[in-house]
Amino acid sequence: MLKNFRALASAAVLALAVFVPAIRANAQLKVVTSTTDLYDIAKAVGGDKIKAVHIGEGYQDPHFIEAKPSFILQLRDADVFAFVGLDLEIGWMPLLLEGARNQKIMFGGPGYLDVSRAIPVLDVPRGNVDRSMGDVHPLGNPHYWLDPANARRIARLFKDRFSELDHKNEDAYERNEKAFESRVSSAEQTWAGDLAAIKGKPVVAWHTSWRYFAEYNGMNIVAFMEPKPGVPPSPSHLVEVINAMKRTGAKVIVMEPFYDRKTADLVARQTNAKVLILPPSVGGVPGVTDYVQLMKYDMDALASTLRAAGE
Amino acid sequence: MRQFVRATFLCAVFAAAANAQQPDSVRRKARADSIAKARQDSIALQRELEKALAQPTAAPAQAPVQGVGPTNPRLLPDVSAVGDLVGDLSPKGSTQEDRTRFGVREVELAFQAVVDPYFRGDFFLGLSDLEKVSIEQAFLTTTGIRDLEIRLGRYLMPFGKQNTTHRHDLHTVEYPWVIQRFLSPDALKGTGVYVSRVFAPFGFYEELQVTGVDRLGDAPADLRTVEPVNKNLSGLAFSARLRNYLDLTQSTNVELSASALTGRLEQPILVSSPFVNGGAFEPATTEVNAVGARQSLFGVDLTYRWRPLQQGLYRSFIFQTEVMHQVNQRNVLVPGCTSIALPPVQCSSTAFGGPGRDFTGAYAFARWQITTRGFLGARYDWVQDPLDPAGLGRNLTAGSGYLEWFPSEFSKLVAAYERYQSPGADGINRILLQASFALGPHKPHPF
Repeated sequence: MLKNFRALASAAVLALAVFVPAIRANAQLKVVTSTTDLYDIAKAVGGDKIKAVHIGEGYQDPHFIEAKPSFILQLRDADVFAFVGLDLEIGWMPLLLEGARNQKIMFGGPGYLDVSRAIPVLDVPRGNVDRSMGDVHPLGNPHYWLDPANARRIARLFKDRFSELDHKNEDAYERNEKAFESRVSSAEQTWAGDLAAIKGKPVVAWHTSWRYFAEYNGMNIVAFMEPKPGVPPSPSHLVEVINAMKRTGAKVIVMEPFYDRKTADLVARQTNAKVLILPPSVGGVPGVTDYVQLMKYDMDALASTLRAAGE
Repeated sequence: MRQFVRATFLCAVFAAAANAQQPDSVRRKARADSIAKARQDSIALQRELEKALAQPTAAPAQAPVQGVGPTNPRLLPDVSAVGDLVGDLSPKGSTQEDRTRFGVREVELAFQAVVDPYFRGDFFLGLSDLEKVSIEQAFLTTTGIRDLEIRLGRYLMPFGKQNTTHRHDLHTVEYPWVIQRFLSPDALKGTGVYVSRVFAPFGFYEELQVTGVDRLGDAPADLRTVEPVNKNLSGLAFSARLRNYLDLTQSTNVELSASALTGRLEQPILVSSPFVNGGAFEPATTEVNAVGARQSLFGVDLTYRWRPLQQGLYRSFIFQTEVMHQVNQRNVLVPGCTSIALPPVQCSSTAFGGPGRDFTGAYAFARWQITTRGFLGARYDWVQDPLDPAGLGRNLTAGSGYLEWFPSEFSKLVAAYERYQSPGADGINRILLQASFALGPHKPHPF
């Protein structure tokens, strides 16, 4: 009897040693983000105190990232999972979170960081919502990072959460966050001239992802190439877009690198407009390796195109 | 053995306590530092509080945030429904089980929610004209155990790749023939315990899924044994699956997995009597007409995916193949005539009426994305058919092509052509149409 008990106890301890994760001492915070933009801001705030990785790439449609099991390995040991929210990642995030089996980053855990909670959200639908409205986001438009004011909010949120989880480095997070805000503010001064060139100018956008960008720089989106979010343009809708462009004098169609530009080129030919591929995220085009560069690239490219079009 | 257990025990204890093994002086100093730091923190916090209380309330630094209230204040579960409609325009008549040309193959209702801080609950009910209402899946899943997932209830058995996919989520109208013949026409389910653990000893994703379930497959309505096949614990069904997933590049990945499953099934008893059937063996028609026999399945599956990240909305390719081998127990002790309550005049001897051989089957499937919403697929099936009327396991072969169109993420239309040749029968051409649609919350995209 005693022999059996000993064997059982030994087996239990052995099982505990195998299944209970080792406690990491003095480790960096491990941060996983859903997008490259959140990654870059997290890195700016966390500096060398965190180890960050991102799931999506900047040149990839964030709605349709595949829930690859390799991402589960990244999330298994994460201390923080920061995501855009507002259902942007709903097509893949639940599978990864369930697969990761990491309570720290599950809903209600200290590392579950829905960044949208810090953002004044645009386009929150009123009244009834259904799928006849296309791939509608019932909680509002999730493409909020293309407004520097929101980038600052994201940075503050990261600072607060990193400080909560890693109290001993809170001074560093505070310093880094302030440095990030000041870097964004300095950069904004460099594109002040671009803002003037963009403000009030009519443009057409492919998807609603440019709404916050437009809110920031004042470009006037007169039509979307998609008749409804996520729905490809029909011929009749294209006629409406062409008419809107002719009526408003819009000469630029803004779209992301992951959409097929053939349809946009067709409309541009009909209206003597130019198709402008803008990266919506860090890493969306080569050379755009951080958030400030992303905003600078997009502002420069849009302003130059509008100037060239004689707007 | 005892020495080994002791040594392992000591290793485990030392490993767990490794971080704590420091000299006493270091520990004492760390403790003193910690107390001093706590005291300083406490004083600083007190001062900060006093300072904050003395100052007038400042305006919040951030703009008011919309939508911060709960999105589901009544804590209702997610409710969703999937409709699966099938049309059969095959030239020689419907090939559906119920012979309909157009039918609602199934409506699946799902109720899913977090139960409490420890579990999530999922119910999937199937409604169909043939089965009326059936519990497709109903399971409780742990959410609080690190690296480990335990499920209790009924679930799709983790054997092979496609068996774990709901039928309406398949890229084809029906499961591959090897699954239909070896597992079940609408996927093999089991009721019991499921344990899964993720690990990565070689740097890539691996997952071990182990189950113990009530029995192998559904109990056949027309076969009865002296005792239930699962009377002893060894009569339960057990399965194991090892998934190995590897990213080859950013755009390509491969999954190579192996599965095994074993359990006991009712197999028919044959009786022979020179007075009744001239000595030929025929299936028993008595109250007890079956005997339990072990059946085991072994499988290997490979999935290769290509999807370039930037053009991922427009281009993708999947190749998938599964090979399965069914091993059947044949040296079965069959109850005699008296045990199945047949008098000598009706029964002079009994024999085992189950499969007299093992079977192998496989399929290969490929799917190309041709437009944003259009996909072209093809499948080839080969199975040594356990349902061969001659009992010889002759080959069933089939070739099929599929055109899938997704008007949105929530609806799918499929047109399919299949030609299959079953043992001892003429080839049959099938033309199938399918429409499936989902209502309710956005579900994750299957991977």
